[in-house]
Amino acid sequence: MTLNRFANRREAFWRGIRDALGAPVLVLFAGMIGFGAMGRTHGFDAWMTGLTSLLMFALPGQVVMLEMVISGSSLLAIGFAVTLTSTRFVTMVVTLFPQLHRRDRNPLLYLWVHMLAMTAWAMSMREFPSIAPKYRLSYFVGLALPCWLISPIGTVLGYFVAGWVPAAVTLSLVFINPLFFLLTFTDVKPWANRIAIGLGCVFGPAFYVLDADSSLLLTGLVAGTLAYFIDRRWLRPTPIEVQA
Amino acid sequence: MTVDLQGWGVWLALCAACVGTYLCRAAGVKLSGHIHQDSEVFRWLSAVTYAMVAALTVRMILMPLGLLATVPMSLRVLICVLSLAVMLSGQQRRLVPALLTGTLLMLAYGVWRTNP
Repeated sequence: MTLNRFANRREAFWRGIRDALGAPVLVLFAGMIGFGAMGRTHGFDAWMTGLTSLLMFALPGQVVMLEMVISGSSLLAIGFAVTLTSTRFVTMVVTLFPQLHRRDRNPLLYLWVHMLAMTAWAMSMREFPSIAPKYRLSYFVGLALPCWLISPIGTVLGYFVAGWVPAAVTLSLVFINPLFFLLTFTDVKPWANRIAIGLGCVFGPAFYVLDADSSLLLTGLVAGTLAYFIDRRWLRPTPIEVQA
Repeated sequence: MTVDLQGWGVWLALCAACVGTYLCRAAGVKLSGHIHQDSEVFRWLSAVTYAMVAALTVRMILMPLGLLATVPMSLRVLICVLSLAVMLSGQQRRLVPALLTGTLLMLAYGVWRTNP
């Protein structure tokens, strides 16, 4: 394990930027273009569609909001449903930030956390073990900042090109997001998490049919807990690799 | 269904959605101060998160909203399987080639659909 990958925080930050400017930014850009196109086809304001990406920055929640506004749901129902789809952020932050250096775990994190999305989270979870704790925040900010900034740009672009780009192109752009998440699962190492992914794929659609709004939370709790206990009960005699 | 899309209601919905989403992120920061990364709680929460993220991904593929819903389910799954195969085909993970495979296949289907 190479914990001395960086000489200083600046180097870690720029490495984060460089890592972002590959698949992560492309994926978010494409996904947000798809969202912008969706906003246009649903008859929303360009400003509002763009601001959604800047201020919410959570594609699934954004899509849920759009769909619910169209179907004329109440304000309360929209707020509640979107918050439920965003509950994953609670655990995403809780699993990512304890890996940061103690000195970095200060109120500024309330600012950085806004830039956290599934893309940067998946990348950071993969890279953090090979980065010394004191450089992890710099790396994360370098990674997450371009991802966040590209989103409103992609959204507004998607909004304006939706009229003249062939539907085939929009289709492939919309598809990039789920595909990217699916592919990153193959990089997950701990067995508890692998089982959780497998069970989540099975329970997710089942709970979705029962109650769409709460299905993510419910799937997480049931499948995650089950996976945790399966791992603890049968798979764990060999100590799992834990990094400082 | 005539909703006044430019009205205040939409902006209020946006505000509610933004506040709700940010509160979840902030709650994560607040809670993360009390959790250590080699604790059992951390392991359990990791599993819960991955299950949630997996459920979300599968939902986007199997039960999509909007444009993707017009593609037959079997085709969506087939393209995913092919992309995964590309991803896992080497010693090193092939993320970009796999992404390109899936995206281009979907594009090809879209083109074929408009002019068969």
